[in-house]
Amino acid sequence: MNWYPIFLREMIQFKKKLFRLGYIFTSMMVPLLYLLAFGLGLGRSIQVPGGSYLGFLLPGLVAMSSMNNAYNWVASGLNLSRVYFKTFQVLIQSPIAPTSIMAGYVLAGMVRGLFASLMIILVGLGARAGFQLTPLFVFTLLLNCFLFANMGVLIGMITKTHEDTSTYANFFILPMVFFSGTFFPIDRMPAVLQAVVLCLPLTHTNILIRKTALDGQGITAILVMLGYALFFFVLGARKIKNYSE
Amino acid sequence: MIKLEHLTKDYGKIRAVDDLSFQIGRNEIFGLLGPNGAGKSTTIKILTTLVKPSGGRAALDGFDVVREPLEVKKRIGVVPQENNLDRELSAFDNLRIYGLLHHLPDLEQKIEEQLRSVDLWERRKDNIQTFSGGMQRRLLIARAALGGPRVLFLDEPTIGLDPQVRREIWNMIRRLRAQGGTVLLTTHYIEEAEALSDRVGILSRGKLIALDTPANLKKMVGEYVVEYLDGEGNQLTRMCAGREDAECFLREAGIEVRRRRSNLEDVFVKLTGERIEK
Repeated sequence: MNWYPIFLREMIQFKKKLFRLGYIFTSMMVPLLYLLAFGLGLGRSIQVPGGSYLGFLLPGLVAMSSMNNAYNWVASGLNLSRVYFKTFQVLIQSPIAPTSIMAGYVLAGMVRGLFASLMIILVGLGARAGFQLTPLFVFTLLLNCFLFANMGVLIGMITKTHEDTSTYANFFILPMVFFSGTFFPIDRMPAVLQAVVLCLPLTHTNILIRKTALDGQGITAILVMLGYALFFFVLGARKIKNYSE
Repeated sequence: MIKLEHLTKDYGKIRAVDDLSFQIGRNEIFGLLGPNGAGKSTTIKILTTLVKPSGGRAALDGFDVVREPLEVKKRIGVVPQENNLDRELSAFDNLRIYGLLHHLPDLEQKIEEQLRSVDLWERRKDNIQTFSGGMQRRLLIARAALGGPRVLFLDEPTIGLDPQVRREIWNMIRRLRAQGGTVLLTTHYIEEAEALSDRVGILSRGKLIALDTPANLKKMVGEYVVEYLDGEGNQLTRMCAGREDAECFLREAGIEVRRRRSNLEDVFVKLTGERIEK
């Protein structure tokens, strides 16, 4: 339970932000714009196999939103805490293991990612988009939040300025939003590009989150996501362990 | 309690801490005095596991700060130079998170005691952004002292504070020592080092250039100072071993600007040719 104080601190801050005017609206803004522009606008002319485009798009938006929020909350918060507010010093000078610091931040990022996803899910349910909240859907969502919160810790630890976290987001997160199967199936892409996007973690989230039952492709997706999460966790924990100002 | 052996820290080509070796005993208030950039904060950051040294060794209560950081962290409280309180949290929550991080038993009771001791109990629920600089400084000290650490590190604890708040903080530091703790503080205020420290280490450009009690350091350079003007109107200083020496010099010189007791600034000037408080 050494992670608990860090998680608690993040949750107190999250709770305060939650009650600020416009916070919920702001966090829902981007996925809602995508939903309106792609789902209700362009979506009418797009055909996807096995159902409506809105039913295809919503799980993708949930994956995207959970990724963005889990990553941004952790990467941005950790960077600010380390570089500007210096509150990270208090954690480093406390008798807790680097993995506990890592776990506290990751769990907080997951909560943030799940909260943002919940908003999209509620909109989706309200719009009767036809997607179901299966155990596999929830598992994928949790794993996705876990993966990108871990990535957030690593980026939050290596970035020297707050602007750098946005740079990483522009290079790694934003391309995944558009090419990893959020808005259209990846099999519509050229074969070469498909091979590239299959290396991206969000692609596997999008594959898994749209499945109703686990199959070989789904198991591969889980293994890839776990592999990425483990990779980010080990590197992030090592960065915390070797932290020196 | 604290032992440094040939401790060194390089930032690229700049040597911030240069071959520091000294020991601090239990229940001692030890002052590290020097101008900005002398290496005081870096030394504290190494001892509190925030910075990894480039060479040498430092140990606290027998535990190596690099190889056994968790044992070191269990024994220390830190008041940093920069305010690192959580700005979005209340005073109570700041201490609560800190107490949980340090696995402190009877936490609520300890928080109440500490907040009362720094006169902030009535403001415990307030966001610390509403606190004055002095209040935030008091809260930082309360947080560092929360678990009754064996060693308390204070990095420029009174920087930028008015004289009244400064004296309140000095009293808090004395109380902490009275409770059995060891205190290492850095300062570039001469008066502060003299008022609080049992022994003072003077740092210049990362090197320890003198270490003794304030009284012995002053004796070393002369207990009296005569400040006078030369024929061209330049103010000069002469260190004198005693009052008689000073008066003898004044009679010979025939003009007095000021005669006063020496202080640690004079020690620093004598040893380095520079001033601490620029």
